[in-house]
Amino acid sequence: MTDTDPRHDRLLRLNAALDDELDAAHRIELERELERDPQLRASLRRLSVVREAVRRHGATEAAPAALRNAVAAIGRPKADWRRAPLPLAAAIALGIVIGAAAQSLFFASGAPDPVTASLVADFARAGLSERPFDVASSDRHTVKPWLVAHAPLGVEIVDLADKGYPLAGGRIAVVGATPLPTLVYQRREHWIALTEAPLSLGDGRLEAKDGTLHGFHLVRWADRERAYVAVSDIDADELSAFAAAFRAAAGAGGGETR
Amino acid sequence: MISDAARRRYQAIVPPHVDDAYALARWLSGDPADAEDIVQDAALRALNALETANVERPRAWFLRIVRNTALTWMAKNRSKSLAFAGSADDLAAIEAVDFAADEESPEAILIAAEDGERVRRALAALPPPLREALVLREINGLAYREIAEATETPIGTVMSRLARGRAALAKMLEDNR
Repeated sequence: MTDTDPRHDRLLRLNAALDDELDAAHRIELERELERDPQLRASLRRLSVVREAVRRHGATEAAPAALRNAVAAIGRPKADWRRAPLPLAAAIALGIVIGAAAQSLFFASGAPDPVTASLVADFARAGLSERPFDVASSDRHTVKPWLVAHAPLGVEIVDLADKGYPLAGGRIAVVGATPLPTLVYQRREHWIALTEAPLSLGDGRLEAKDGTLHGFHLVRWADRERAYVAVSDIDADELSAFAAAFRAAAGAGGGETR
Repeated sequence: MISDAARRRYQAIVPPHVDDAYALARWLSGDPADAEDIVQDAALRALNALETANVERPRAWFLRIVRNTALTWMAKNRSKSLAFAGSADDLAAIEAVDFAADEESPEAILIAAEDGERVRRALAALPPPLREALVLREINGLAYREIAEATETPIGTVMSRLARGRAALAKMLEDNR
């Protein structure tokens, strides 16, 4: 059989029809041929059986979790390579244990406290997922009701688009067992996650500690009502500038609080 | 040094397709542990390539890297057992398959198609170029033009390989009763 054999062409078209890759004109032509040719109909049935068999029996199980983690880790900054998943997982576990015990969520000393670790883990995880937010919108009137409906805490949202930080969406970060509203702002190709927490969770110590954990920068501050933690992979100075812009806008009454 | 922009593109393109990559690598290598190594290698290659690559069809793009990584990997580790690239001999053998085989016993293939182990053996026994086209189409669900991109092959060749692959599978399932 050669490629110029008409049966060869017809078989290619039969396969293309099966794969839904045949254009309309050829499909109509093929349907006519099928009507008058029982052997062609039998060929189509036979191909369908083969196709279903391969689909059903050829499917493999999902990639093992270890592979999935390794592939995700390859995209992270070098310092965290391969080492990162374990501390992050441990941090999350620690956060849950402490939350469940209803103890203070913050440590006094310089070690990364569970809340910080948990928020950094949340940021890293969100960056890996296909959907870095639960609600994607640049409109604070869309983001805010969603957050309010999903977390018990009121949320302050300010519009910083003209400062170079457009709002991209919102999600809920869970620290221990507490859902916390988190705003996601965009800076060039980076995200900034701003989580708001009630002061009672922070023991009033939130504003004291800026810093870096696993390559991510953190800036924290508090006002009379709540504590704020900004996490991002932009550099520390830029994140401080973002925090300053947010505080200025919120202080000027540019924000909306429930 | 990998830029942040490349990492960001990587996170958007590679992790979402790890299941597809793993399935393809398993069918190309025939071994789950080898498939894990191949996918990890491919992910590293993808990260480096994303510094400059312009990616239009992410899944086809990454699967092409997985496929090429598998070829390299097997040439290095299995030089004896497998000539993957698909020599002319492989394809000539398939030419001999009569596409429009007589349909005297349709129930034979129906019964054989129920036997998962037998279907998998037959698929594994196909010449690699036919097997990869079928896996990309049926398991990964790629369109013809994506298969063409992933295998760096013209669409006409993709169509021909799919037709031959299915015909050969049908024949194997019917023959080994």
